[in-house]
Amino acid sequence: MTKPVISRESFSARIWRKTLAGVGVKLGLAWVALLVFCAVFAPFLANSMPLLMSKGGAISAPVLQYLSVEDAWILASFFIALAVYRLNIDGGKQVLLFLLGSALAALLVNSFVKPPVLVIYDDFRGPAYMQVDWKLMPPIPYAPVDYLRDLGSKGLEAPFATEGHTHLMGTEENGADVLSRMIHACRISLSIGLIASGIALAIGIVVGGLMGYFSGVVDMLGMRLVEIFEDIPTLFLLLTFVAFFGRSLYMMMVIIGVTGWSGYARYVRQEFLKLRKQDYVQAAVASGLPLTSILFRHMLPNGVAPLLVAVSFGVAGAILSEATLSFLGLGVVDAPSWGAMLDQAVKSSTFNWWMAVFPGGSIFMTVFAYNLIGEAFRDAIDPRLSDKAGVKS
Amino acid sequence: MSQPLLEVRNLRTYLRSGGGEVKAVDDISFSIPKGQTFCLVGESGSGKSVSALSVIRLLPDGVASHPSGEILLNGQDLLTLDDPGIRAVRGLKIAMIFQEPMTSLNPVMSIGEQITEALQLHHPDMDDAEATERTIKALEQVQIPNAASRFRDYPHQLSGGQRQRVMIAMALACEPQLLIADEPTTALDVTVQAEILRLMRKLQDDTGMSMLFITHDFGVVAQMAHWVGVMQQGKLVEVGACQTVLRTPQHPYTQQLLAAVPENLAKPGRAAVGANPSVPEVVDLPPALADDENLSDSDRRLLSVLNRVGLRRQASQNAAQGEAEVDNLIQIRDLKVWFPIKKGVFRQTVDYVKAVDEVSLDIPRGEIVALVGESGCGKTTLGRAVLQLELPTAGSIRIDGQELTGLSARELRPLRRKMQIAFQDPQSSLNPRLLVETTLTEPMKVHGIGASHEQRIELAGQLLEDMQLSRESLWRYPHEFSGGQRQRIGLARALALNPEFVVCDEITSALDVSVQAEILQLLLDIRRRRNLTLLFITHNIGVVEYLSDRTVVMYKGTIVEEGLTAKVCGAPEHPYTQKLLSAVPRLVV
Repeated sequence: MTKPVISRESFSARIWRKTLAGVGVKLGLAWVALLVFCAVFAPFLANSMPLLMSKGGAISAPVLQYLSVEDAWILASFFIALAVYRLNIDGGKQVLLFLLGSALAALLVNSFVKPPVLVIYDDFRGPAYMQVDWKLMPPIPYAPVDYLRDLGSKGLEAPFATEGHTHLMGTEENGADVLSRMIHACRISLSIGLIASGIALAIGIVVGGLMGYFSGVVDMLGMRLVEIFEDIPTLFLLLTFVAFFGRSLYMMMVIIGVTGWSGYARYVRQEFLKLRKQDYVQAAVASGLPLTSILFRHMLPNGVAPLLVAVSFGVAGAILSEATLSFLGLGVVDAPSWGAMLDQAVKSSTFNWWMAVFPGGSIFMTVFAYNLIGEAFRDAIDPRLSDKAGVKS
Repeated sequence: MSQPLLEVRNLRTYLRSGGGEVKAVDDISFSIPKGQTFCLVGESGSGKSVSALSVIRLLPDGVASHPSGEILLNGQDLLTLDDPGIRAVRGLKIAMIFQEPMTSLNPVMSIGEQITEALQLHHPDMDDAEATERTIKALEQVQIPNAASRFRDYPHQLSGGQRQRVMIAMALACEPQLLIADEPTTALDVTVQAEILRLMRKLQDDTGMSMLFITHDFGVVAQMAHWVGVMQQGKLVEVGACQTVLRTPQHPYTQQLLAAVPENLAKPGRAAVGANPSVPEVVDLPPALADDENLSDSDRRLLSVLNRVGLRRQASQNAAQGEAEVDNLIQIRDLKVWFPIKKGVFRQTVDYVKAVDEVSLDIPRGEIVALVGESGCGKTTLGRAVLQLELPTAGSIRIDGQELTGLSARELRPLRRKMQIAFQDPQSSLNPRLLVETTLTEPMKVHGIGASHEQRIELAGQLLEDMQLSRESLWRYPHEFSGGQRQRIGLARALALNPEFVVCDEITSALDVSVQAEILQLLLDIRRRRNLTLLFITHNIGVVEYLSDRTVVMYKGTIVEEGLTAKVCGAPEHPYTQKLLSAVPRLVV
């Protein structure tokens, strides 16, 4: 018998290590990481204004001056997340700390960041910004809503077709750079997927868990609630809300989340009904463990496998919902999103491949990446499976 | 020895698994004479079933290979047959019955159809009327009452024993020369097992077939076998006539197996039963801990309570000896656990399943009470109801005089540490996602045992060492342990809270006999050191006789007999107890 390696690795650390063992998941995570990077640093990656410039000895950073409240908050949250991750405390506390820090950042940013109300992108190509000692431009020197009117852009130019200006992914009908719009659109796709699924998951786990654990009357009432929510056509509800309350990304997230939990609740309920009869759950009850421990420590990790796959599809589904809405022309107006870009591609009179391929491909890649991650996570969480694969010490 | 029907020579079966090959069967040779039974005995994983499956060639081709060997049926080598050839042998010349009667019949076909299908497959010229007639005859042969009217019954309408009879009928319908029975009675109650074994012997006498009988139970071997082969790790370590092997085993492994049968176990625990455990033994905390300056207040309180309990226990035992007054830790009065049967649109309760009906039982402190009965008699429900894992419909349960029924979860929590449970199935009794360390220390933390995490880990480590497991086991996951080791961890979890009362629900039923023997000895040892009170639920009479002080027999939800084990097992009064005891396959022939 081989001597077992004694590890004091925590449950979550072990799961992470095993999740990361596969190749597919690394690709998936790399794609999501790229999206996160793009979403966080979008204003620095694609913008019409210089990152840094020196004019008459005075160095200034126009990007920072024009940073919107939202941009600043996302940046702050990102760095708080990094800092919290480095701290050596347990997972629950990390999440709590991050949420607190992020809320605090939102408050601070809201009161201190005062960007100029009006942004005229043409000015950045005007004398005030051209006659400088030196300047450092972002990799893609076009803002997503900079329609390049001063350059006489005709719009709908194929990649590399414009003389004098490089548009790696061409321009859309108004003349804005497609790549720049793609980068800024990451934010919507990422956030709507994660936040909407997060809301749905939280509701689904609690409702499903209680239904499965207590069964009986709780189960009956819960199932009726699930059925009611399953009968709500999310898309039409979204359309109705958009019609009444205008277009808001946050409203979309909440609606997709609040109507999308019924599937998760069913999964959790089903698993919990099965797990409740398991001896180790009975033993936990017999040991007088508190309900939260029984539900979330002894039952949930054992019943989470089907849920994870459902979530990976749910994230993808939320992204698609937003894309659908935008495609129908009911999405967010001012900020670009992948769905809205597809919509533009369809509405233009000629077929412009670069307008369809890049956003469509990104939606596909994102959905695919989440599915890869979900699957790897499911396999990692099952110690029996991962040991068969030879990960065992 | 007459002309052998089946002769297996130097058979090897290798199974591919993952990267390597497992030598599941490693060079075994045996033969079965016509009309006689050869029993293959061994522990799980010894290769018994693989040997049998090799004979009937049921192992998947991609996985199994036979580097050497011959399997001669009437002189014809089965290993060289092609697919159509072996199909002609299967069913017609060799038939097989399996362990699990619940899954070996097709649930969507009536039993008659299933037997008829098998018949017509091997006799294509047989018409429906004749096949039906033969089927009914086969069902009558296996003593299914009203065979003709049960022809259209589906498997779920039959009991486990009846299903196994149907399986036998199906196997025997084509009158095979060899019947392979792979643990055919392991999943059945002992009374049903006795009937099935009797039936199989009768059928053998009637038809003159040979049997290859696989079992792990030496009692069954003694009843069935003419010849015995003992398997260990793919090798046949001892072969011989049944009487010879059982009476004068030659190979050390056979001797070890026979010694591990509960009936043959030495009984070290008996002497200690009446003895007064002294106070330090009751407390049973590590001395280093008891002397520890850094003990928290709650721990000091715990220690003093334990000391008081110990003293009182001693006093009461003294009293018991003087005045024959019994200190009952658990008192159950008129307990009912009824499960409603609901029907119709409005889910009205039409009837109840009376799992436990009007049961009254006292469990004296420090004794092991065995609860016996066949499956479905309510013994597990009773055990769980005592721990409030199953809510009683009516009645009262007291532990140490404290009423348990009607308490809220919050009120019950402090009482939970007095009573714990250990389970039957080593697969499902531990949370697969948690380290053993977490499984053991979490309840301690909730109940405030140990001042710090380190101290709890220390206690848990000690507990594991008490269970004869290494301390390192703390940092492993349940799936890294064998079944017996998992049962030890399950016991450790039950003992983590220093309970006074533990329900052991068939904790040895899923284990091999030698592992079972170790666990039983461990239990007696722990009981002696901690003065535990045990309710030991089992269907194994051998275990009852070995372990328990008192025995309670349950039948259909009620207690039919209770008393000292020696009395209940030696001179049973109730007809059901008598039937149960006479059905137990004994090793002594």
